[in-house]
Amino acid sequence: MDKKNALLQVNDLRTYFHTEDGIVKAVDGVTFSVYPGETLGIVGESGCGKSVTSLSVMRLLDEKGEIAGGKIVFEGKDVMEIPESQMMKIRGNDMAMIFQEPMTALNPVFTIGFQIMEAILLHQDVNKEQARKMAIDMLRKVGIPEPEKRIDEYPHELSGGMRQRAMIAMALSCNPRLLFADEPTTALDVTIQAQILELMKSLQEQYGMALVMITHDLGVIAEMAQRVVVMYAGKVVEYAEVHTLFKRPRHPYTWGLMNAIPSLDEDREVLYNIPGVVPDPLDFPEGCRFNTRCPLATDKCRKEEPPLVEIEENHTAACWYVDKLIEAIKVARAGEGA
Amino acid sequence: MSKEQKKLLLRADNLVKYFPVKAGVFRRVVAQVKAVDNVSFDVYEKETLGLVGESGCGKTTAGMSVLRLYEPTSGRIIMDGEDTTYYFMPIFKARKYLKTTYVEPLSKLKSEKGSIEAAIKSIDSEYDRAIAERFLKDFGGDGNRLVNAMLANREDKRKAFRRDAQIIFQDPFSSLNPRMRVKNIIGEGARIHGLATGSDVYDRVADIMVKVGLSKDHMSRFPHEFSGGQRQRIGVARALILNPKLIVCDEAVSALDVSIQAQILNLLNDLQKEFGLTYLFIAHDLGVVKHISKRVAVMYLGKIAELSDKKELFDKPLHPYTVSLMSAIPEANPEKKKQRIILAGDVPSPINPPSGCRFHPRCPIAKDVCSKEEPELKDIGGGHFVSCFFPGELKRGL
Repeated sequence: MDKKNALLQVNDLRTYFHTEDGIVKAVDGVTFSVYPGETLGIVGESGCGKSVTSLSVMRLLDEKGEIAGGKIVFEGKDVMEIPESQMMKIRGNDMAMIFQEPMTALNPVFTIGFQIMEAILLHQDVNKEQARKMAIDMLRKVGIPEPEKRIDEYPHELSGGMRQRAMIAMALSCNPRLLFADEPTTALDVTIQAQILELMKSLQEQYGMALVMITHDLGVIAEMAQRVVVMYAGKVVEYAEVHTLFKRPRHPYTWGLMNAIPSLDEDREVLYNIPGVVPDPLDFPEGCRFNTRCPLATDKCRKEEPPLVEIEENHTAACWYVDKLIEAIKVARAGEGA
Repeated sequence: MSKEQKKLLLRADNLVKYFPVKAGVFRRVVAQVKAVDNVSFDVYEKETLGLVGESGCGKTTAGMSVLRLYEPTSGRIIMDGEDTTYYFMPIFKARKYLKTTYVEPLSKLKSEKGSIEAAIKSIDSEYDRAIAERFLKDFGGDGNRLVNAMLANREDKRKAFRRDAQIIFQDPFSSLNPRMRVKNIIGEGARIHGLATGSDVYDRVADIMVKVGLSKDHMSRFPHEFSGGQRQRIGVARALILNPKLIVCDEAVSALDVSIQAQILNLLNDLQKEFGLTYLFIAHDLGVVKHISKRVAVMYLGKIAELSDKKELFDKPLHPYTVSLMSAIPEANPEKKKQRIILAGDVPSPINPPSGCRFHPRCPIAKDVCSKEEPELKDIGGGHFVSCFFPGELKRGL
């Protein structure tokens, strides 16, 4: 794809945290781009660095965190060069974020109306009355019944699904061009999750914003995203268009993840086991970071780190044996059948 | 039906659990949270019954009530051919329970039917028949003798129940005492129940740790030295060491990452085969429940909406709630564009549940009758139970 048109370009991003025990390389060389109006999914297990990636782009890291390298370009501007005062204008206005737990992300001592109006008043040239009208309008758009009444309620008076709707209303109140959604439905029940996902899709169409969907749930990814970044231990292991990824995963981790989920469609007697656990971020293994859990790992994997290589158009994976995986799957499948 | 040959291990019979809501200076009870409201299910030996539903549907409360970690408001829990309901009640309540459950109805039944034989014959359930025989024949209809006989050795019975019924909790972090070494966490039960003494306990602990995939060299460590998946294995080992008949798995894999979740699910399956375990598997994730269960019960707002064999339930869901729940799950397959049935609104409050069918305010096919009458959980053939006036009318879009 044409890199010039990208809304957001993240290039070799490295975010390190300086902790008492040492340096945690939470994000270590992540590259991706987001195009206007599309949905990019970032998927991975806990601790893979998917949330830190979005916090880095928004420049919301705490004092221990530091962007140690790489480049973030948003609408042609280098995000790391933008002074904080300017960044405050961009944050909430041009790019916004919604979080996993709406109860902790909303301020419990202010009404939701106040919190939505705060963003509008900060970024737009309107008076309080107009802002209130806009907030009510926004609440209606996200499907909150009786918004005129609900606007004066406190977060604890709303159910989980309604809170998440209020969060979305807040994030979209200034019509951002880029929205990060960090596990937006993980804390919700499935029927409520379905409502929220549907809402996000229709709002995205309406506003034409780009969405970065961060989740551990491959189901949500398949449903929402057009392109997907798979992360493991701070690295991108695979990056592809969604249909390609699910049809032809080329990284053993992606394949393992897909086969570890119990499916509603097919009956599997035994789920695929990715052996072991995610390595300690203070002490990542040498070479490929997945080598300790990979069934295909060889000495080469334990010594040299594989680069992201292009397998086909718009499909890259970081594995020394991208071709071997397909063979290995065939062997495994044949073994199962016998 | 093949079910006849299978041995019934656990029967929850009209289980009810209300939590009082107290308010005011005098802490008066102002309302009841009807967490579990008339729920009945059977669990057969060596099989897994999945209990699935959204948060607040009462699935965990049902599991806790079965184990008597909550004292049920009413209902019967029969385990391994014994009524265990009165085991944990205060003695006066236990007496009253036995009188109202057995002595009075059976005496009445006898006088209605005219003879002991006819009365016994008219009872359906095998378990109740055995009690009736004991009461009417052996004890000659003397209520006090029956009550006293059942109350005898209650302490031993309690202990045996606690050994036979175990639980694995959701959160592997808060369910293990951070100040205890793993060998004591796992071994404590074995010691209390006298399965081993002295250092023999640790031999048993080592055995069990290996069985659940932990290294026995780690038994002197503390819980914080383990990862989430390993801690859940400790929880499994703690339940397993007592050789239980029933294990209630309360969201046992929900807090884990996908790859670790698969490890624990496979472990639970392997252990079931090896030790002939019976699981009551409580979870909100339909995929997980489908994977591990033999039969599945879908709960909504304190009631069972549908209960059936797994294959039947997933191939042919009949309750509109089950149908919409299944259609709401995002599947890891971008090729499949599902026709979603999006339910409006939230789950209503269990303090003041809707009249009639509890699902009717959100049900896409609700009719007048649904808000007025409550549908019964009925077997519509082949052990497929559904509580809906219009089963199968809401179709899953493809």
